[in-house]
Amino acid sequence: MTATNPRIVTVRQNILKANDHTAAENRAAFAAAGVRAINLASSPGAGKTALLERTLRDLAGQVSMAVAVGDLATENDAARLRQHGAQAEQIVTGTVCHLDAAMVQGVLPRFDLAGLEVLFLENVGNLVCPSSYDLGEAARAVLISTTEGEDKPLKYPTMFNTADVVVITKMDLADAVGFDRDLCRENIDRARPGVPVIELSSRSGAGLDAWFAFVRGQGA
Amino acid sequence: MHEASIALSLIDVASEVLREHGAARASALTVRVGAWSSVVPEALTAAFPACAAGTGLEGARLSVVTVPGVGDCPAHGRVTLDVTRGLRCPSCGAPTPTLVQGDELELDEIELAEPDLEDV
Ligand SMILES: Nc1nc2c(ncn2[C@@H]2O[C@H](COP(=O)(O)OP(=O)(O)OP(=O)(O)O)[C@@H](O)[C@H]2O)c(=O)[nH]1
Ligand SMILES: [Mg+2]
Ligand SMILES: [Zn+2]
Repeated sequence: MTATNPRIVTVRQNILKANDHTAAENRAAFAAAGVRAINLASSPGAGKTALLERTLRDLAGQVSMAVAVGDLATENDAARLRQHGAQAEQIVTGTVCHLDAAMVQGVLPRFDLAGLEVLFLENVGNLVCPSSYDLGEAARAVLISTTEGEDKPLKYPTMFNTADVVVITKMDLADAVGFDRDLCRENIDRARPGVPVIELSSRSGAGLDAWFAFVRGQGA
Repeated sequence: MHEASIALSLIDVASEVLREHGAARASALTVRVGAWSSVVPEALTAAFPACAAGTGLEGARLSVVTVPGVGDCPAHGRVTLDVTRGLRCPSCGAPTPTLVQGDELELDEIELAEPDLEDV
């Protein structure tokens, strides 16, 4: 054979197209079953599980809900959530620091989607990696706690830039930790101009009504 | 760090292109990574060689091109954004609500390797 020059092939393809494809399948499954899927992301310990526990408790009997929760190793969060009478399935992600659409698809057969109105997808605590992975959710909620620093939205712009709602958690601790509410909201708005922001406390219950409206799909 | 996951997905997409072109190996590939993609180029290039081992991408040179964020300012039109200041026009501070570019994560091109004599 005679040698030819190296061939350059123009590809221009999204590296995560396989994930996006699976996410579209999940989204279609949720739509067919009439389920609103909500992806919750935050840094570790911002209060995702606490907010879901409170939500499962307060909306019990009004909205039929279940949770799929991603965790690197433990079953702790699923066990906490089951105490409130709702189905909670753990997705053990091992060394992977985010949920992806295939992990969610793998756990869906364990749910009776037709009997559900809301499926929460609690992501792994991490403000970087989950931002790249569409799970097929209807809405993405990004949480930031009053105890973690007002500059987070600009340090992790991708995560906040993909949020449909930003939830400021642990408002009961705001005064104690000197939380700068205006600065935090300014930074959120820089990362995602115009995004609705909900301030709440899962401990005291303050601000939960706006969150519950969002859960029901009635806007933030 | 999710760059290892990204590298594996990149290798899947690239391997598919190799198959489509009947090529066994690539010698180089270029990816475009937006400033708003949450992927750190250095981490991706660091993760790539180990992930590529044993595939047609083994030993391929990976170039990462960073794509800056671009927004649409009502007063200044297309403006290049500074990621540390968010979606705000650098000239007037007006919000630029959508990213015109800068969130991409794509395989741009592949250089197919010449088949070695042993492969023929
Ligand atoms: N004071 C106060 N503490 C809270 C609130 N919400 C959560 N916490 C506490 O914050 C800690 C972390 O809460 P989790 O709900 O486990 O946080 P998470 O985001 O699910 O954490 P990971 O799943 O590990 O990422 C726990 O000790 C909670 O009790 C709140 O509204 N007020
Ligand atoms: Mg949790
Ligand atoms: Zn401007």
